[in-house]
Amino acid sequence: MSAPATRFDTLSEWSDRHFKWLLVAPAVLLILALSVYPLLFSVWVLFVNYDFTVPGHGFVGLRNFTRVLADPVARWSLWVTVLLSTINVAIEFLLGLALALAMVKNFRGRGLIMSLLIIPLFISPVIVGQAWALLLQRPFGPTNYVLSQILGFEVTIGWLTQAPWNFIALVLADVWQWTPFMFVILLAGLTAIPPNLYEAAELDGVDGWRAFWWITLPQLGPMIMLAITFRILDAVRLFDTIFVMTGGGPGTNTYSSSFYLYTLGFTQFHLSEATAGAWMFLVITAILITFLVRRLLKAEPT
Amino acid sequence: MTKGLFTRANIARTLLLGFFLLFTFAPLYWMFITSIKPSDDYLAVPPVWFPAEPTMLHYTAALFAYRGLDGLINSVIISAAATLLSTVLGTLMAYSLARFNTGGQHLSFWVLSQRFLPPIAIVLPIFLIYRAVGLHDTHLGLIIAYTVFTLPVTVWMMFAYFRQMPKSLEEAALVDGCTRWQSLWRVAIPLAMPGIVAAAVFAFIACWTEFFFALILTSQTAFTLPTVFRAFLGFQGAQYGEASALAMVSLVPSIILGILAQRHLVRGLTLGAVRG
Amino acid sequence: MAHVTIKGLHKHFGAVHVVKGIDLAIADGEFTVLVGPSGCGKSTLLRTVAGLEQASEGTIEIGGKVVNDIRPRDRDVAMVFQDYALYPHMTVAQNIGFGLRARNFPKPEIETRVKRAAKMLNIDQLLDRLPRQLSGGQRQRVAIGRAIVRNPQIFLFDEPLSNLDAQLRDEMRSEIKRLHQELGATMIYVTHDQIEAMTLADRIVLMNAGQIEQSGTPLELYERPRTRFVAGFLGSPKINFIKARLENAGIVFADGQALGLPAADAQRYAAHAGKPVIFGIRPQHIDRAPMTGSPHIKSTVDLVQPTGARTYVTFAIGGEPVMAELDAHDAGKPGDEIAIALDLAHFLLIDPESGNVLGR
Repeated sequence: MSAPATRFDTLSEWSDRHFKWLLVAPAVLLILALSVYPLLFSVWVLFVNYDFTVPGHGFVGLRNFTRVLADPVARWSLWVTVLLSTINVAIEFLLGLALALAMVKNFRGRGLIMSLLIIPLFISPVIVGQAWALLLQRPFGPTNYVLSQILGFEVTIGWLTQAPWNFIALVLADVWQWTPFMFVILLAGLTAIPPNLYEAAELDGVDGWRAFWWITLPQLGPMIMLAITFRILDAVRLFDTIFVMTGGGPGTNTYSSSFYLYTLGFTQFHLSEATAGAWMFLVITAILITFLVRRLLKAEPT
Repeated sequence: MTKGLFTRANIARTLLLGFFLLFTFAPLYWMFITSIKPSDDYLAVPPVWFPAEPTMLHYTAALFAYRGLDGLINSVIISAAATLLSTVLGTLMAYSLARFNTGGQHLSFWVLSQRFLPPIAIVLPIFLIYRAVGLHDTHLGLIIAYTVFTLPVTVWMMFAYFRQMPKSLEEAALVDGCTRWQSLWRVAIPLAMPGIVAAAVFAFIACWTEFFFALILTSQTAFTLPTVFRAFLGFQGAQYGEASALAMVSLVPSIILGILAQRHLVRGLTLGAVRG
Repeated sequence: MAHVTIKGLHKHFGAVHVVKGIDLAIADGEFTVLVGPSGCGKSTLLRTVAGLEQASEGTIEIGGKVVNDIRPRDRDVAMVFQDYALYPHMTVAQNIGFGLRARNFPKPEIETRVKRAAKMLNIDQLLDRLPRQLSGGQRQRVAIGRAIVRNPQIFLFDEPLSNLDAQLRDEMRSEIKRLHQELGATMIYVTHDQIEAMTLADRIVLMNAGQIEQSGTPLELYERPRTRFVAGFLGSPKINFIKARLENAGIVFADGQALGLPAADAQRYAAHAGKPVIFGIRPQHIDRAPMTGSPHIKSTVDLVQPTGARTYVTFAIGGEPVMAELDAHDAGKPGDEIAIALDLAHFLLIDPESGNVLGR
């Protein structure tokens, strides 16, 4: 049944032989062009003067690094990043776990509540920041008014302008947006625990809290690792809500690393210094990734 | 243990869920109310919980006076194009990784690692290169950036999807007389459609809500909806309504899409590592 | 239709050596069954013939043409998969006609061919259904229909019946045999089920650990196995293996009971006298003997498993369990002392070290 070979056949055979590489080529080339090449390019930027306020691209050695390292704001912003991401992820984990436990059994309206709870995941962080700013902002937002009514005295907190309230505001927005993330993953983990484990445990006289400690948590372990790892790797990028809610302020009080590097590069135009800072941040993140992902692969959930 | 509606566990659950739903909807409700509230009600004490005379004024102002409509159109164009590109390229790559283990683990983990690079490290050099080649503040520039930015998720979601599809269907197609491409196009792709649609939805939402790249790579021409909010910052107090109106316009489509793709959410969030 | 010649075929998956040097010639129109335990490389061999796996070494010829570098689509083979591999998004008619459409056959011809194939398999009333609306047996018929519609040179079957329940399996087995008789096509069939192998094959190729252990007609392999493995693989219930010694007079079991060999046999095995051997005998060739008279072995009934007309009885010879297939009324009950006659026209002696059957 075979027909005589044509030029089209030769082409089709060639493309079948290299099929697997032809499939990956476009995506790989695009990533190379827009992620690897820029990173390599930036290696050059690291050691020259690339600054819109200073003309020319002279070689400056390690000056870009030393300047960032010497900048107290850089160190402060790293501290803010670590502090905020730790607090955010911790609260999101605990709340998400509580919600997942509350939602694991079926009840009327569960599907609807599920759909409502995940809504924050689909909203731009900019809008989340905007919404919380509206809610908290003095004198427009109703928060201080409601607190005054509840507490019985006049509350005049500058939620976006006064430490430590500005941090609490940022945490609120982040927790609002990302608790559903933890919740959804942990719920998937909880529903995957075979119910006969609990039945067996009940026969052994284990229930309630002890069942939670002895069965739920160990079974959920890999999923917890996964959720926390993914969340931390995103949490350290914290930028959007700060940009919208506090603008980094008051002063440089709520600068995160990303926000600091952004202002350094794009409002002060010290692009080389910002690149140097970004590389240091990249290295810190890479160490974090290696550490977390390796632990994650060890606990591979299947 | 008594079973019933009023066990301690049930009450605790109701309280927790009730409180959390209130927490979730308070900012959304306040924003919605603000978007239809006349400016005169802004600073009223006690706060106006529902305006006596709702107005659509803020919506028209946000869309036209503050170029929200331009941002909306840009967002639609850029998100749609990037989604299409990312879904097509990502699906092809995922198929190759899933079926031929192309490049071993190295290639797939290299793609994954792109997902976790801090954007600030990438965006600085991209900004410089874009300025040099004239892609700064163009639709194409942001489309390419978003394609690369969403590719890891698409690839990994589809990778997991193809992995759980039986290989024998495509093999049957090969024996039946298909080329590799035909077996992909006529058998694998149609069967993977639910997964592809889900991946596309998540890619679209990611582009639609993205702020950081748009902030740096665009200014007056190709700016997207989230970056329009820059106009409302710093002028304390004046444009609450406009900002809220714009937010409502932006969040409605992505929420609807997200809820429609809810079934695939776990896979989307964990890059396919966990089946929902 | 065509003959298939496989020469020196090896297949590695990474460090795993799955197929270790296969030489096999399959004649035109022959029904060849590749059988063996799971992991023996039979499926890999079949998939290599289909072109779904690349040979690491060696050649495969179909109809006298080396096909190593030819894509599956150009080999003109058809394959029926274990999980049927029906395209769930296509109707039965589209499934069957898919291969023809992929080869750009004209529409009317596709239609007549699909109808003819469907009629042959008794599924012509199901043509508009989707695979998920079919039963397991119907799905298998569609999968076979998809193969025959193309009238390929070679049919390949990869454990096509293993997902069916016992009754359907018997039915489809007859169907496949009938199909082979009607089409007279070359068929290669992979299974781990020895009954399928015995009933279907013109020739059985019994594989073990990536190599061909023995090949030949079903009866040849059953009656004259070359190795302990072949003897043990074919036949149900399984052949009994009993440790023993070969002495001049005959076979001596571990408990001291002896069995005199006919003079011809004694001479045949003379070279092995004085050595340990494994005595192999099928349950069908063991019978009860009267307690006195003709030579017999004594034992005690341990386990009785009736199956209807025949009953499987287990007892020990030389401390090793032995199963006999006896007449139901002859079986006795556990604890009974019995005398056993072994049919010395049908026994094997195996060298315990090499596993080879002696005297062949």
